[in-house]
Amino acid sequence: MIKPLLRIKNLHKSFGKIEVIKGVSFNVNPSEVIVIIGSSGTGKSTVLQCLNLLHRPDSGQIFLQDQEITSPGVDEDKVRQQMGMVFQEFNLFNHLSVLNNVAVGMIKVLKVPTVEARQRARDELKKVGMADHQDKYPAQLSGGQKQRVGIARALAMGPKVMLFDEPTSALDPELTGEVLAVMQELASEGMTMVIVSHEMGFARQVADRVIFMENGLIEEEGTPDQIFCDPFSQRTRAFLSLINQGENPGGEIQ
Amino acid sequence: MDSFSTMVQFLLPGLGITLLVTLIALFMGCLIGVFMAVLRVYGNTFARTVATSYSIVVRAIPVVVIIFILYFVISEFIDLSAFMAGAVALGFASGAYQTEIFRGAILSVPQGQMTAARGIGMGRGKAIRCIIMPQALRIAIPSLINEVSLVLKDSSLVFVIGVPELLRRAQYASASTMKPLLAFGTAALFYILLTLVLSKFLEAVEQRFSLSS
Repeated sequence: MIKPLLRIKNLHKSFGKIEVIKGVSFNVNPSEVIVIIGSSGTGKSTVLQCLNLLHRPDSGQIFLQDQEITSPGVDEDKVRQQMGMVFQEFNLFNHLSVLNNVAVGMIKVLKVPTVEARQRARDELKKVGMADHQDKYPAQLSGGQKQRVGIARALAMGPKVMLFDEPTSALDPELTGEVLAVMQELASEGMTMVIVSHEMGFARQVADRVIFMENGLIEEEGTPDQIFCDPFSQRTRAFLSLINQGENPGGEIQ
Repeated sequence: MDSFSTMVQFLLPGLGITLLVTLIALFMGCLIGVFMAVLRVYGNTFARTVATSYSIVVRAIPVVVIIFILYFVISEFIDLSAFMAGAVALGFASGAYQTEIFRGAILSVPQGQMTAARGIGMGRGKAIRCIIMPQALRIAIPSLINEVSLVLKDSSLVFVIGVPELLRRAQYASASTMKPLLAFGTAALFYILLTLVLSKFLEAVEQRFSLSS
């Protein structure tokens, strides 16, 4: 029996009066790739941001391996060092070069000596194909390049799990491919990944499990085949047909 | 002191004093401004109250009044020259305006920067020091260039406590030569020159640290 890397139990989160997550539970096994899909505003991103404690859940528990990270008195910074996060808006550090963006976490947080940190940063940049741009600044990069640097920055911290919050949603369509390729490579190397995304093709190909969320709850979860080809719930079918219509802009009804 | 060149020679020491008072005040105001701005944005309720009160109260009082108050208060306790008292008072006042400059700059840094810094496990203090403040300082430069010009002009106010800076010397020259236009006109030219030099310097700093491609 494999021990889950992440266990999420009965998560609840409200912002003011609005309850955004109404009781979400799921597990993530080591090296698993989970893709969370659903319409906008269903709480998908909020779930992700609760996983690394950027938002504190109102109730429920999250376990990272054996540690309950939602218990009071937990060092949240140490928890976040073990989880890498990639953002929709990239959020690269504008005042630092590409190399220093990737190295700064190692230098300032992990206290790695500068020379070693910069070498490791160069290695991470090579993996995402951005080594030639190491002296450029974020303002000089395209969206796809920025996101690849963002992935390298997260990987440089040596995380146990990578969280992706709609990583390609802010990109022009022709740039999503380069980012998805990096993510696919990461998955094949065995990284545990939780991804919120609208990229159904990617989910079909790379995900081990797909979770469909609606209205702050998990409506259905299963393998990509189960979800995309033979969904159990009516709502899942409705969502998928909407997505399919979007993918056929000529107006064909599926 | 009848001709322009002799007037220039007479006013020159005053120029030195004016420049010194201005630079001390700007430096002091900068330290205070950064500190208070961080308190205002990131501090707890007590820290925020202290910083906000300082900013609001000091900006509400005319600078010349602050100079008088600080000069007479300070001379009760420490034997400070009029020059230092004037510079400190000016710095204290400028600090309030620079608090607002840096506060605006910090708030202009995109929220995602802090999120990303926390995301790689930085504590809040480290994130502020390594990620937020370097960007905020760059954003603040244009407003700081403006503040330089204002402090330079306000430095003339320390003449009221007898500091022999540019304005005081111009007054003396005007009285003894009976040529106010020559005296104050030359002084004005010096102020313009100083402003241009300091502004050009800061603009060069802005260019050097600019983040646009």
